[in-house]
Amino acid sequence: MEKEKTKNPNQNSFLFNLLTNRASSMTLAVVFALVFTSLLVWMMKANPISVFQTIITGAFGSTNNFTQVIQAWVPLVLASLGLMFTFTAGLWNIGMEGQIVMGAIFSYGIIRIFDGSDASSALVIILCILAGILGGTLWAFLVGLLKNFGGVNEIFGGLGFNFIADAVMLFLVFGPWKPEGVANGSTKMLDTRFWLPQIEGTYLSLWALGIAIVCVILVTVILQGTYFGLKLKAVGKNNKSSFLLGIHTNRYMLLAFVLCGVLAGLTGALQVLGFNHVLRNNISGGYGYIGLMVGMLANIQPLITAPIAFIFIALSKGAAGLGIDLKLDSNLAGVIQGALVIFVLIMDGVRKVLIKKFKGVQSG
Amino acid sequence: MDVEVRNIHKTFGKVHANNDISLVVKSGEVQGILGENGAGKSTLMKILSGFISLDAGSILLDGKEVTIGSPADSVKFGIGMLHQDPLDFPPLNVLDNLILGSRERMIPNRKKVRQEFVELQKQFDFSISPDAFIDSLSVGERQQLEIIRLLWLGAEVLILDEPTTGISAAQKIQLFAMVRKLSEQGKAILFVSHKLEEVEALCTQVAVFRQGMNVGQMLPPFDNDKLVEMMFGKILTRSDRKCCTQEKVNIEVSDLKIDDPRLPIKNVNFCIQKGEVIGLAGMEGSGQGLLLRALAGIIRPSGGHIWLCEENSSKKDFVGKHYFDFKDSGISFLPADRLDEGLIAGLDLREHFILAEKQKGFFVDAKAAMQLTEKRIKDFNIKGTAENMVESLSGGNQQRAELALLRQPLRLLLLDHPTRGLDIESTLYIWSKLKQRCSEGASIFFVSSDLDEILQYSDRILVFFGGKVSKPLDAGDVSVDQLGQLIGGRGWE
Amino acid sequence: MFSKRIWTLVSLLVVMALVLAACATPTAAPAPVETEAPVAATEAPVVATEAPAEPFVIGILTVGPITDNGWSTANYLGAVYAQSKIEGAELIYAENVNSAANPNTTAAQFAEQLLDKGANVIIFNSDDMKDGVTEFTSLHPDVPVIWLTGDFAWEDGKRYQPDMKSQSDVFSKMEYGKMMAGCAAALTTKTGKIGFLGALINDETRRHAAAAYLGADYCWKSIRSETTPIDFKVTWIGMWFNIPGVTLDPTQVADTFFTDGYDIVISGIDSTEAVTVAKKFRDQGEDVYAVQYDYEKACDVAPDACLGVPYYNWGVDLLPIIQSIKDGTYTRQFVWSDPDWSDINNPDTSSIGFKKSDGLSAENSALLDQFIGELAGGLNLWTGPLNFQDGTEFLADGVEATDQQIWYLPQLLEGMTGDSVTK
Repeated sequence: MEKEKTKNPNQNSFLFNLLTNRASSMTLAVVFALVFTSLLVWMMKANPISVFQTIITGAFGSTNNFTQVIQAWVPLVLASLGLMFTFTAGLWNIGMEGQIVMGAIFSYGIIRIFDGSDASSALVIILCILAGILGGTLWAFLVGLLKNFGGVNEIFGGLGFNFIADAVMLFLVFGPWKPEGVANGSTKMLDTRFWLPQIEGTYLSLWALGIAIVCVILVTVILQGTYFGLKLKAVGKNNKSSFLLGIHTNRYMLLAFVLCGVLAGLTGALQVLGFNHVLRNNISGGYGYIGLMVGMLANIQPLITAPIAFIFIALSKGAAGLGIDLKLDSNLAGVIQGALVIFVLIMDGVRKVLIKKFKGVQSG
Repeated sequence: MDVEVRNIHKTFGKVHANNDISLVVKSGEVQGILGENGAGKSTLMKILSGFISLDAGSILLDGKEVTIGSPADSVKFGIGMLHQDPLDFPPLNVLDNLILGSRERMIPNRKKVRQEFVELQKQFDFSISPDAFIDSLSVGERQQLEIIRLLWLGAEVLILDEPTTGISAAQKIQLFAMVRKLSEQGKAILFVSHKLEEVEALCTQVAVFRQGMNVGQMLPPFDNDKLVEMMFGKILTRSDRKCCTQEKVNIEVSDLKIDDPRLPIKNVNFCIQKGEVIGLAGMEGSGQGLLLRALAGIIRPSGGHIWLCEENSSKKDFVGKHYFDFKDSGISFLPADRLDEGLIAGLDLREHFILAEKQKGFFVDAKAAMQLTEKRIKDFNIKGTAENMVESLSGGNQQRAELALLRQPLRLLLLDHPTRGLDIESTLYIWSKLKQRCSEGASIFFVSSDLDEILQYSDRILVFFGGKVSKPLDAGDVSVDQLGQLIGGRGWE
Repeated sequence: MFSKRIWTLVSLLVVMALVLAACATPTAAPAPVETEAPVAATEAPVVATEAPAEPFVIGILTVGPITDNGWSTANYLGAVYAQSKIEGAELIYAENVNSAANPNTTAAQFAEQLLDKGANVIIFNSDDMKDGVTEFTSLHPDVPVIWLTGDFAWEDGKRYQPDMKSQSDVFSKMEYGKMMAGCAAALTTKTGKIGFLGALINDETRRHAAAAYLGADYCWKSIRSETTPIDFKVTWIGMWFNIPGVTLDPTQVADTFFTDGYDIVISGIDSTEAVTVAKKFRDQGEDVYAVQYDYEKACDVAPDACLGVPYYNWGVDLLPIIQSIKDGTYTRQFVWSDPDWSDINNPDTSSIGFKKSDGLSAENSALLDQFIGELAGGLNLWTGPLNFQDGTEFLADGVEATDQQIWYLPQLLEGMTGDSVTK
């Protein structure tokens, strides 16, 4: 039956519409991803239904769980928003991780300066955030410079700078910034007055949440309402044409990196001030990489990153309970996320091919 | 072999691409199929060659009804289609390409294939080396190779889909000779084109398609105006050559030198008057493109001068300046490959107009942009809406959009194949718009492989051969023959 | 032709996906019945008959996987011991609570999850979780928290946190175990060179390394009557276990020790690289051994290459505290327990033990027992004269160290090589 359909694709057929409608095709992708994960789970001799149940209760089952999800959503959405700039410009900023790390390092550097002083907490926190932004921006700017003037592909440049950022981090936490008498890969904890204020009884800071929401709006406006955003998009879609249309393509690519770095740095600063409260290895939390997946799904629409990031983080946080309840590896969340990305991309590709083949040839 | 299609229907979504099309082509006929872009010509050809399936109707070969389910089926039935873009494998050589396309033997007999290839070539006076690599062949040669391959596979019906696009005048002559020979051999030939003169020169009968329907057949002698009317449903008139050349020098090029590893160009000297149209003729890749890009500021000449002359007879040398300086001085470049370096696939028309306009402030005024876009769409008669992605527009509408993007005022407009692949209506429209620019004082510098176009619209002509550039020739004083000779490399001192 | 192929491929994929879905659903569907039923069957009676009231739940966070055959396994088994002795108690755990495996969830957040699942007491099993303990107790000052290896509850300690009303610390005096390890090494070494494979550097690891040195030095001089000083070198890898790219590779470090003529390596890390590498060298004909750490069965990987293992028996100390929590008599406490000198290997009474392995010769085994006897009899190796690594005085002649001096040992001791703090 399938074969018949391939031979005689009828545009009005159910299958054709199912595959070419954006919404139904995405739904199918999600279904496939879930089926795929269920299969994996089943092969691991676990029960897929209880896995999903655990994930859902793990993410939404209690106020505590839910606030944890929101708390983790903040850095992920910030990272994904940053990547919107580079994705729009057609760039793969793999260096996001390193930029977050640098943001965290710079931010903690300010803490060290004011540690023990009686400077106002608000001032120090603001300085920390600005320093974090500076750190992330600097790191992204270097990748951009290498790309523009050294001809180094941003993927390789970014990977290189990730390694350097990690090395700097390890040097600092095992070296000059280690707590007195201890070298365990983490600095000492921030004085609580330098923490971003948290809602009583939770790990969630409304300040961090507010920053994230403001950033979602800002990035949406910049990318969708300004000349800058439009030019960036043009550069991303066709560098050559954009140049011939009179856009300074190199400048815009560099700016994309810089803005991405700003958000990366902000993410890093919030990881220190609002979540970990120490500087330690793995401070970036892998958000740079997860952000790339979110970005791929969001298809350069910043507003969409918010719900996608939310789903991703709910999956990860929910999956933490897998280890406790079902004795499964919590990295299963990563598998689901990866499967989602792959199936969405496949279904999107299928949709485009179908539309191109059966709707777009009339002018031929 | 006789081919007949009866009551063919094919829809794509809401578009009825083939609406009850019937056609009979006897063995030995050269059936011309005329129609503007989107008239349904290619759809029918793709149905015949098995690339798409029909919704309703039947296909008869020598009176017997057949079902063509795939391209392989169509080859088996003896139908060969020459596509607009040759379907070959560039990294392989000619012989391997032949062998790859054959389905007969598992182990190829290279010696036999070579012999057959050479014999077929001889029939048509082609001279392609069997060992040449595909990427070293010109578009015309690849086309010749493809036809030979189809014949070698046993094609009795040949479909030629816009075969003269992108090939040289000499190759066109060879192609036509070949088509005539094949028809003498009893092959049925379907010749798809939107160029009247080609169809007139070659075909033994013509069918005209419009909006998915076969609107009429005609036998020679063809009534030109009638055909045009059938194609467009209305009568079109060609604009006369009207000289807008003013006595003021616009741009002066002296001793220009371009270092290109494959095709160095030197000693280029000429002036461009205001309002003048200069056509660049020559085989493709003879240096026209390089000169065009040098004048646009995209490639940097290694020597010489490009003087931009002002009203007060002062002049500025632009050699070595940035492309954006050229652009800001009113020099614009429209490339041949519109989606590669002109328009931006993935952006809609409105976004293009916003980008082309001067930036005002930080935020885009969506309403103003929309108004501007709609005005331009109307002014330039673009078939599409502001939200249409440019890649979804037809070639003619893309070209109109490009013209609509140009800023005011213009000093010099550089065009690379401005009407390539466009139907007559679009071509006429584009040139009327270009002429309007000339009357406003802009000069036009254009490359075309269509000699008729060059002769019709140019005031003066530069001929290129292997990197050499002729003195400007007055278009009124030169004939097609003379031009052909120069293009072919004869008559150069 | 090409696009045709894509279409076919796509439909093939669709068909495959559908088939897979079709297969998955029927197989997935019966699963819940199968698994949930026995769970209900086993749990329900337990709840119903033995604990009519709410179950008492012990929660433990382990820094590594509970199957690491090292630190986390020992901790987990301690909790299991306590659970088994307390009527109606249940045990839940979260493993891999470290920033490498779970960068987006802190120890405190994992603790929250255990709390959500009804934990009545939460055990943090690592020094690494100091910040987690701090955060969690600040949000839940009333939930009993036990921090293994911690010192927040020690009134005489440097980091005493008077506000953490229901937080307790539990540790046992592994210093004795380390002394036995050092002694076994010193008795066995032929080259007089002992390597100590250290984890990260902190108070705990410094005093454990120093204790191993004291035991080695004592047995070398007093039992073997050697006159040349023993060569005792410490190399820190930077973490409790190997993290590629972040820590030194413990396999490499052990390898270097053996290659450089250190014929015994005492492990101070939570995984089993030392004995694995020793076995590799032994297989090549080298006469080398390792002394393991943490878990009673840590030598089982290669008993011949192992002299023995000083191990923890956490259940002994955990049980009374957890019992008191259940009984409602819990008060905050700081536990730093001595072994049961009458039988250090008694699972119900001694919080640390030393399990000999096949590598230890009968003769040395007897000598080691003699040393253990001396320790039981009151031998205090933390007695002056002892100097720090930098030559300054730690303890004057005849002075015994206080608990604080031992716990917060600021440097390695004179006679040891290796970093006191990372540079």
